[in-house]
Amino acid sequence: MKKLFVVTLFTVLFGAFTTNVKAQCDTTADMCAKHMVAGFISDGQNYRALLLNQEVAEFHATFFGGSVYRISACSGQSDGNLVFSVFDKERNLLFSNAEYKNAPYWDFKFENTIDCIIEAQLASSNAASGCAVLLMGFKQQ
Amino acid sequence: MRFKLIELKHFLLLISVAGLFLTSCGGNGEGEEGEEKDTVKVDTVKTNLLKFDNTLFSVPSPIQTSLLIKKSGANYNKEMLNVTSALNSYSNNFKKALNLGVYGADLGYVTIYEQTQDAIGYLKAVKKLADDLGVSGAFDAALMKRFETNMGNRDSLLSLVSTGYRTSDKYLQNNERKDVAVLILAGGWVESLHFSINIAKATRNQEVINRIGEQKSSLDNLIKLLQPYYQNEEYTEFIDQIVDLYNDFDGITSKYTYVKPTTDIKNQITTIHSKNDIVITDKQLESISEKVETIRKQIVG
Repeated sequence: MKKLFVVTLFTVLFGAFTTNVKAQCDTTADMCAKHMVAGFISDGQNYRALLLNQEVAEFHATFFGGSVYRISACSGQSDGNLVFSVFDKERNLLFSNAEYKNAPYWDFKFENTIDCIIEAQLASSNAASGCAVLLMGFKQQ
Repeated sequence: MRFKLIELKHFLLLISVAGLFLTSCGGNGEGEEGEEKDTVKVDTVKTNLLKFDNTLFSVPSPIQTSLLIKKSGANYNKEMLNVTSALNSYSNNFKKALNLGVYGADLGYVTIYEQTQDAIGYLKAVKKLADDLGVSGAFDAALMKRFETNMGNRDSLLSLVSTGYRTSDKYLQNNERKDVAVLILAGGWVESLHFSINIAKATRNQEVINRIGEQKSSLDNLIKLLQPYYQNEEYTEFIDQIVDLYNDFDGITSKYTYVKPTTDIKNQITTIHSKNDIVITDKQLESISEKVETIRKQIVG
């Protein structure tokens, strides 16, 4: 009986938790989408990860030469909560928004097609857990 | 003793979830002294519970390939596209999802070539499949209306289409239907590769040929996205074919050279100068072409 109670309570709490997280992610994604201004075409995908403490989400992408990309990175309900860094496939650091006050978006002009890894983590001064959202848009040069 | 251990596990799990729930409800939680303690408790089981999807894989938008094709000077070729009359033959969700990706790529292509009438036909096909798959909110009446209102404004139309796809992606992810979302991506990816192959054969445009070779990592990403569904009967053959295609891509050689990027802080833009030279032989191109056409035939057929 006690076991059944614990399992039921767990199920209810877990259900409520996941619903809450999804709602949080949606709010963050909507906020993030505002940085995709006219001229940038979305790649049609939502990149989301639930991060705890200093967990890092990794995002693998190919960026085509001759295009300008906008990466918008958000967490929580205000800008500046997510640190993101762009590395090439040899792990050379190409960019980090940490050097620019955790800017919520940044544009990248790729002269040639290259594969990159983007790492995202919560800004240390903020939440212990949160939904990280990355959105990507592009425009042809 | 064993029962006590199970009880303890449940208790820890319960505490963890409750802790996380409260943490997530608490906004940024700045200055909340108790939060640090809750987080420490959560650490005991958090990785099993929540460390999912933290490695994300991107599949390029088919629109980018169509933009390159237009830039290469290739003429509009409707013959390359999947006919909208095939729409009603897609009877299961597997086929519908793949072809929602295919028609999305086709819609992008006709929009880039500003073929208004064809665009309306493909938009209707996209809406029908989205409705059938239960993601009608992504291509609702408001979007259809905005599409018609913006006819003639290519960039607005492309933006509307891609936003529709992003909305459907969000809906599918939220509703634990990532399998469907991945198939849409796969369909779009195959269709855009089919475009590139057709144009490469017809024009021998080196930029388009290179773009085919540059899909190697995207294909690898696609396989990683599809892999979790391998045991599902419908997916098995499709994934096997995609993996077989990867074997050809794996033979393509490339030479990467890192060059220090430059950043324009005022305009918030970083220019990436690094180089990546691709070498794709005619034999590789031919083999990739054959395999892609086989896969596509099965998707649209």
